[in-house]
Amino acid sequence: MLSSINNRISQVHLTTDVKQTIVAMLGVTFGISMYIFMTGFMSGVNDTQADLAFSALAHVRIYNDGPTDHSNIAQKIYPNDLVNVRNAKVIKYTDGIKNSAAILATLAKQKNLTGFTSQVNISVFFKNAGNKVNGTVSGVDVIGEDKVYGCAKHIIQGNWSELKYRSDGIFVGVELARVLGLKMNDNVNILTSDGISRNYKVIGIFRTDVLSVDKSKAYIAINAARQLLGVNQDYVTDIQIDMEDYNNTQPLIDNIKSIIPYKVESWQMGNQQLVAGSSLRDTIARAVSLTILLVAGFGIYNIMNMTINQKIREIAILKAMGFSGGDVTKIFLTQAIIIGILGGCVGMVLGYIISRLVNNVKFEIAGMHHLPMTYYPHNYLLAFVFGLITTFVAGYLPAHKASKIDPVSILRG
Amino acid sequence: MSVILKADNIVKHFYEPEKFQVLKGISFEVNQGEFLALVGKSGCGKSTLMYVLSTMDTDYEGSLIIKDTVLTNKSQNQLASFRNENIGFVFQFHYLLPEFSALENVMIPALKLKRLSRTEIEEKAYRNLEMLGLKEQALKKVTKLSGGQQQRVAIARALINDPAIIMGDEPTGNLDTINTQIVFDIFRELAQERKQTIIAVTHDDDFAKNCDRIIEMKDGQIVR
Repeated sequence: MLSSINNRISQVHLTTDVKQTIVAMLGVTFGISMYIFMTGFMSGVNDTQADLAFSALAHVRIYNDGPTDHSNIAQKIYPNDLVNVRNAKVIKYTDGIKNSAAILATLAKQKNLTGFTSQVNISVFFKNAGNKVNGTVSGVDVIGEDKVYGCAKHIIQGNWSELKYRSDGIFVGVELARVLGLKMNDNVNILTSDGISRNYKVIGIFRTDVLSVDKSKAYIAINAARQLLGVNQDYVTDIQIDMEDYNNTQPLIDNIKSIIPYKVESWQMGNQQLVAGSSLRDTIARAVSLTILLVAGFGIYNIMNMTINQKIREIAILKAMGFSGGDVTKIFLTQAIIIGILGGCVGMVLGYIISRLVNNVKFEIAGMHHLPMTYYPHNYLLAFVFGLITTFVAGYLPAHKASKIDPVSILRG
Repeated sequence: MSVILKADNIVKHFYEPEKFQVLKGISFEVNQGEFLALVGKSGCGKSTLMYVLSTMDTDYEGSLIIKDTVLTNKSQNQLASFRNENIGFVFQFHYLLPEFSALENVMIPALKLKRLSRTEIEEKAYRNLEMLGLKEQALKKVTKLSGGQQQRVAIARALINDPAIIMGDEPTGNLDTINTQIVFDIFRELAQERKQTIIAVTHDDDFAKNCDRIIEMKDGQIVR
């Protein structure tokens, strides 16, 4: 009931000393805006990190991980005896993925995938005149590759879709081109580990801003790669899969692991350092923001305590006139909550403004132009809820104390 | 005449700084419409007794009955709502809420009681202020009023719920002769015409002399 006498008293208390109310409110505002800014910034950094990482990394990768070690079978039969096999070797009977069509058909039936593509990756030496650089050449499905990695947007010279029609064409990384002294339409020689050598024509140059990629990678059409290796149309070395939610790869892996006879690996398994980095940043952001909110909470607690000490005689009078302890708690808790709601609303706006300002700060490293920032509504909501909880707790303690005031000791003086 | 307040063998101790018996078995009755003065030297326990009678102090032995209701051992919340309805207070230092106007100060206990609508309460508060000669000051902040005016606002507030008993802790202790006379006349009128009971702790002999009955205390006991 808005017109109740308790609310009227809260309202009068808040509006009599407006300065003090605003100071208390600013505490919440500051806490919430910092929380919003910190989480927005951190998730912006994480998203950018993910974008950078996933320009060279698929969410899930299927590949031939090599054979299991069966070089000493006898030991398994006589576990208690010493079995020695001299000069044992682990022999790899299969190379790459043989029945890729069947696997691709299985993948097509899975849910939550945004795309998948097959690759034939070959370790090679790139040679131009006297220069020799080792690296990887990727035979790619031109359309699928673009869908999974967004290759087209990294191209700085040439036209990505041209690769589809040019079995002699090659796209090289910008650093690799620099080291080898390659320009558009130059020839580059490729030497595989099996000693096969072939010339390709540079029809494009790309830059991913991941140095290790730009320095050692080149793309050719997948059929050209198969030709180079002399393998059939079904042969691939990797199948790369992109998912709707890159943090949620486990269900897919559980689904297909048992029916695919090759290694199925999520990016998390292969790149623990990225996972660790991103969750550490999240933890720091949360810790800092919660600390700020906690400090704001102490601010409110102090101001409410001060208010109550100032108004101790009035509280005694209210009790003498028949207000119960519950009424007194309500009067002061209402004030705290109003401070919390007002401070929270202003805090969300201020948080948005700070985020916008920081978002405009120039930051030109690794292909970025401005500091990264996100504006997820759920972060704003969460900040508001945390702010309210903080004010509620910070307001409840002094309000409860006020309700316990013994009017006799105050009124007798 | 019906008995409105009955105190039976009230005993109270103070524990700080050391155990000390302030009230040593006090028993008396007050009739409806009686104007009673509680007198005695400082430290004789008269204020302590009044706070016990007011239901605010619950730390005593013995029993207290007001308007046929046994108040001993009731919960703080029950006592608060009982006070709200049945007891009005006037203190030596008026104790108004400084952020509010005179009118609002008078209205607050009635808004808490919720027996009447807001407009009815407002009308009644105006009537009370008018009776006490404060109609012009109704909308002023209480901090802008003189001491005598503030004390009258406090009386108007004490009257708003038509309580059976009005208690005063030195209600005229802070006032000059003229204002003391005004306050006294108001109390007198309330007792006679509205049959409201007045219990006032006072040091003022003239004030006490004109009351219906004087209870004099000494060392925690009633001597007269």
